[in-house]
Amino acid sequence: MFFQTTYKTGLTALPMTIAASLTPQVATAHEAWLLTPDEITALATAPMPAIFTSSLILGLAAGIGCAGTVAALHFEEFLRPYEKRVAPALKNMGSQIGPAVMRIALAAMLGLAGLGGLPRHGTALWVEPTLLVPDMQLSLVPGWEWVAACQLVMAVLLLVGLMTRITGLGLIGLSILGLPIFGAPFLAYAPHFIAPGLIIALIGGGTFSLDRLLSLHRQATILDPQIIWRLAQILVGAGFVYLAVMYKLTQPTLLIAILQHGDMPTFGLSFALIALIMTGVEIICGILLMTGRLIRPVSLVIIGAISFLALTLGETPLFHTNLYGCMILFALMGRTWSVTNEGPSSYERALA
Amino acid sequence: MKWLNLSQIGPIAMVAGLLGSLAVGAPSYNAQNTIPRSVFLTLPTDLPEPKIEMTASQGPSGAWQLRLDVSDFQFTTLCVNSAQPVPIGHAHIIRDGVKIASAYYPIIDLGHLVPGRHRISAVLRGQDHRAMVGADGLLQMDIIIWVPKQA
Repeated sequence: MFFQTTYKTGLTALPMTIAASLTPQVATAHEAWLLTPDEITALATAPMPAIFTSSLILGLAAGIGCAGTVAALHFEEFLRPYEKRVAPALKNMGSQIGPAVMRIALAAMLGLAGLGGLPRHGTALWVEPTLLVPDMQLSLVPGWEWVAACQLVMAVLLLVGLMTRITGLGLIGLSILGLPIFGAPFLAYAPHFIAPGLIIALIGGGTFSLDRLLSLHRQATILDPQIIWRLAQILVGAGFVYLAVMYKLTQPTLLIAILQHGDMPTFGLSFALIALIMTGVEIICGILLMTGRLIRPVSLVIIGAISFLALTLGETPLFHTNLYGCMILFALMGRTWSVTNEGPSSYERALA
Repeated sequence: MKWLNLSQIGPIAMVAGLLGSLAVGAPSYNAQNTIPRSVFLTLPTDLPEPKIEMTASQGPSGAWQLRLDVSDFQFTTLCVNSAQPVPIGHAHIIRDGVKIASAYYPIIDLGHLVPGRHRISAVLRGQDHRAMVGADGLLQMDIIIWVPKQA
């Protein structure tokens, strides 16, 4: 019930959140940084919900999760003929607009992070450049301030679609570099930036890119494209599983405080139960992505969920453009990567 | 349709394995770690717990000044991404539920306050801005300032 509502609300919410992000505003906070001082004080004494300390309840929840997974996999069988019918059109759309969507999504995040345009709560706009995400302030790691300039260069290259594949590799490098710079906390982010880096290195600039204009859009041949595509899905899925375990399952009072802060509709459920359901769904969605099952439906559920949460919590969706880019491409292309049109796109042909 | 085909076993086994092991491991972890580690920095119990004394005074110009006297705590301007659980850091100053300053030194200028009642709180923070927690909870001190109406 909750997830159906989340999914449906999320689909309608997406255009609204994107529109909201285009209006000038102070970028709002992320996760813990959302909470007010009084909420932090209350959180320090918030009791751990009993359902998160009970083996019996968590065991029962695990059983329900397994049953849900079996049902979802049967739903995949049911869905297969319909998906087969629309897949060519979706793949065609994916190969035409997918690269541009991913380029713009990553350019927005890299550019804003490099300029300090995505600060965490309490930090002024355009003051503190970060590495990819608001929490990773470069001023806290002396000697690494130059990374901001790298991000800006990469943002410009992605925006115009020049040397796109190399920039994708650069993003992978930057995401891996974040681990020694910021340590374990960066593990929460690295997979969700390595994956789009892999995808952009695979798909190149695509339509309306300088690479296409200058005929630099040849397919990379070092690795099998299917391997790269699946590796990206596995990384995104693993990232969700990691986040669900490290932040939702083992810090549920924080998640509950954030949901309460956002005054999220509960549909008669307790916040603790909602937190547990969110945790379970994130883990199952992550595993389905890792195993390459139900890629399109899972991508739509995730787009819906992050849009719904962004709206509820008053966050800017710019915090998650990397995930929007990945999920839109996964939803269009599905489990396997295939390029249906290596030549000029229909848009380019129309312009010619 | 068969109840289960071979290609479905992999994902189901992964979900069952992970959820099952989490159902076994998470309860004991959660029972011992009740406060979220990404928000709070818990000081070890073998260290003396910082104690906060806070006084406010009004200067000749009418502006208010806050003075923090914190035992067993060291103020620093140095912030890091991931702090050690040691009593080194700064304080967040909160007026009527809104954070107004990060205090890297023990004297803070509050400026002019409008007439009425004001609740001023100081919360000790680690070098990574996580709120410090001791044996008795959040390391925090509140005072109330009454600002009289101008004659």
